[in-house]
Amino acid sequence: MAANVRPPDPGADGRGDLPPHIAAASLPRRASPASERTPVYAMVGNPNCGKTTLFNALTGLRQKVGNYPGVTVEKKIGEAYSQHGRPMKIIDLPGAYSLAARSPDEAVTRDVLLGRRADTPQPDRVICVLDATNLERSLYFVHQIFDLGRPVIVVLNMMDLAQRAGIEIDARELEARLGVPVIAGEAVHGRGVVELRLAMSRAELPLPRHRWDVPAPIAPAVAELQASLSEGDGRPPLVARAEALLLLTDFDTVRVAGSTPLSARTTGILDAWRQRWAGQGTDWSGTLIKSRYDSIHRLCHDVTRRTRTQGPSLSDRVDAILIHSVWGWLVFATIMALLFFSIFTLAEYPMNWIDSQVAALGDWVKSTMSAGDLRDLFTDGVIAGVGGIVVFLPQILILFFFVGLLESTGYMARAAFLMDRPMSRVGLHGKSFIPLLGSYACAIPGIMATRTIEDAKDRLVTILVAPLMSCSARLPVYLLMIATLLPGDALPAGTKAGIMLLMYFLGTAGAFGFAWLFKRTLLRSSPPLMILELPPYQPPRFKDILRHMVERAWLFLKNAGTIILAISIVLWFLTTYPKHPDPAASPDVQIAHSFAGQAGKVIEPLIKPLGFDWRIGIGLITSFAAREVFVSSMGVIFGVQAGDDNTAPIRDAMRAAVWPDGAPLFTPLVCLVLMVYYVFAMQCMSTIAIVKRETNSWRWPLFQIAYMTGTAWLVCFAAYQAGRALGF
Amino acid sequence: MSSAPIPLSPLCQLPAGRTGRVTRLTGDEGFCQRIREMGFGEAALVTKISGSSTSLCLVNGMRIALNHGAAMSILVEHLPAAAR
Ligand SMILES: Nc1nc2c(ncn2[C@@H]2O[C@H](COP(=O)(O)OP(=O)(O)OP(=O)(O)O)[C@@H](O)[C@H]2O)c(=O)[nH]1
Ligand SMILES: [Mg+2]
Repeated sequence: MAANVRPPDPGADGRGDLPPHIAAASLPRRASPASERTPVYAMVGNPNCGKTTLFNALTGLRQKVGNYPGVTVEKKIGEAYSQHGRPMKIIDLPGAYSLAARSPDEAVTRDVLLGRRADTPQPDRVICVLDATNLERSLYFVHQIFDLGRPVIVVLNMMDLAQRAGIEIDARELEARLGVPVIAGEAVHGRGVVELRLAMSRAELPLPRHRWDVPAPIAPAVAELQASLSEGDGRPPLVARAEALLLLTDFDTVRVAGSTPLSARTTGILDAWRQRWAGQGTDWSGTLIKSRYDSIHRLCHDVTRRTRTQGPSLSDRVDAILIHSVWGWLVFATIMALLFFSIFTLAEYPMNWIDSQVAALGDWVKSTMSAGDLRDLFTDGVIAGVGGIVVFLPQILILFFFVGLLESTGYMARAAFLMDRPMSRVGLHGKSFIPLLGSYACAIPGIMATRTIEDAKDRLVTILVAPLMSCSARLPVYLLMIATLLPGDALPAGTKAGIMLLMYFLGTAGAFGFAWLFKRTLLRSSPPLMILELPPYQPPRFKDILRHMVERAWLFLKNAGTIILAISIVLWFLTTYPKHPDPAASPDVQIAHSFAGQAGKVIEPLIKPLGFDWRIGIGLITSFAAREVFVSSMGVIFGVQAGDDNTAPIRDAMRAAVWPDGAPLFTPLVCLVLMVYYVFAMQCMSTIAIVKRETNSWRWPLFQIAYMTGTAWLVCFAAYQAGRALGF
Repeated sequence: MSSAPIPLSPLCQLPAGRTGRVTRLTGDEGFCQRIREMGFGEAALVTKISGSSTSLCLVNGMRIALNHGAAMSILVEHLPAAAR
């Protein structure tokens, strides 16, 4: 009887096909979302098959889309309305190849589907998104989903690519064979979205009809485990079956954090079967996979037709260059050089414009308000602080544009391929480079992206070194220091870009070096095995990129308008009060007398060996919140100091700054050392918070602060002292 | 069995442009399972596109990158150049 364990057959009315213990439980014949409850849909499928594109089209949200596997790494909930105007919940999930999760992102998908996440409702219905160019592999996951016994809607996505590859799929036949709605579409062009919404609006959806018998050698084990799971662990019958299959194929499912532990009886049965098989040498997981593939293979044979055999595709021809061991690197270097060059040349015009607007605003305030502390608060606090940082918006947008271009064309995965070799030298694999490359934009999404890494220790190593990659928040600091370092516009953009490139190189080298160190000491593990799918190249989706840029711009401005504004005001206050007894005291004397001045003097001994004075020290402290705050802090400090009738750019005020003995403060050496400090130091609250969340402890973020900032101090100390000794 | 012995070697040694058939997976259990789940298991045809330390292969129309360790643990029999 055990071999009969299979999903119910909706073809007939009765439940004759069901084994008695399932039929006995009141399994709804057709699952209809109860009218009083909002139906919950889960969006699942292989990585990069277009789930998020579809999710965005349905919900109107703007979740991140990109042409490489592993863009979505956390569940995202959205709402859509049915044809009748009823709300429906949709959960977008990370891509997965199988319910037997191998990495944390796949585990999110598995746990949501199995109803193990307390913060997420268990989905009532499942939307399976398939990559039509790869039907067989897509169906493997669907096959497992069918076991869950929930109504399923299948979306055959990427039909355009399939057609181009000469693959014809008979969607009607597939629908007939599976017994669930099958919708052919191209999410990226909006095709199929209306049909999907219609299908989702149906009050009743059929359960899958596709039959598959658990292979005979395993069937008794499945039956026994299933019975124990439904009786001892209170699982609904079909979930029990799916979970039984999962427990037998995936060791990790047993110890999932946060899920309720299995009953002793179930664990006992599981162990007994495993031991028995180990003794017999039965490869149960292989048998199970093969059996599923056999049934899928027959299905695919009947519903697909190859209209022509494919020669090398365009992607193959492009790949011949882009992942070539010589040309590939050349292209990679060119892309990077182009990025830095455009940051200096293209951004110049909008930056100058914003600069002049900020100055004009300052002048306007000065001319309209009467002199006094309130006016100074506006000009020296708010405008100098926030304005000083907003001018760097164009550069940040250019950076995000480039990263967006890499992500949406499919180059990201190629960079991972190219980097696999150097990464293997430090003990990681090429996949770890995707989070690192993403960290050039911002370490937070980069650290999230490490969820695609299978090995826990490798993932931790990647998290630890990711913030060393120079992120967009360092950009304003680098740019300000380069501007102070190299006065005048006479110098070619190439030199400035070169210095910047050096800083990025330093950060990247640091990341590799520390990864090497950690893999050999703290987090030793065997060299990882990498399997990475390279998606076909796609033309860049400028709409998606622009959307993402607008989002980042908004975030940047919001930060400037809230955190940076607040810090600037507080800092202005701290640099203005208490007032020097002599009202005619020079701004220099006044600021030294202020709270900030006194506090700065306390830490000065610590940073003086690096060539920094207490004013820079104040910037180092405030920029613990976020690196770009350094720039606004310099704006406030040197704005306050510059006195009343000056709205010149900060860099001019900084260039004029001197030590008490009259020696210039921002010598070229100090500017460089300060940049190096920001390359290495851990100066970002949000990163600390995300590392805490992702590693589930304070240990690693604290360690990260210690090792990064410690390194920053040591490297800067060495660089400054060496520079001084050489006469700079 | 056919008369000429078919050379059996790890995937990383398959020359670029040649096709082989997967005959055995070594390596840890989780890895083997995933390779099979991706349709890359025993009997799958795999064409090496390029690569020395990191390999790029074509399996069932998908491009899959494998690092050296992964390519070492997949054993293939070389098929004659014409068979594709
Ligand atoms: N040609 C074509 N491209 C598509 C289609 N649907 C999505 N894409 C593209 O496929 C890529 C992946 O899309 P996503 O929506 O990010 O895929 P996903 O399934 O959410 O990916 P993960 O979150 O990484 O699992 C993007 O570059 C999309 O623009 C389609 O129907 N045709
Ligand atoms: Mg996604």
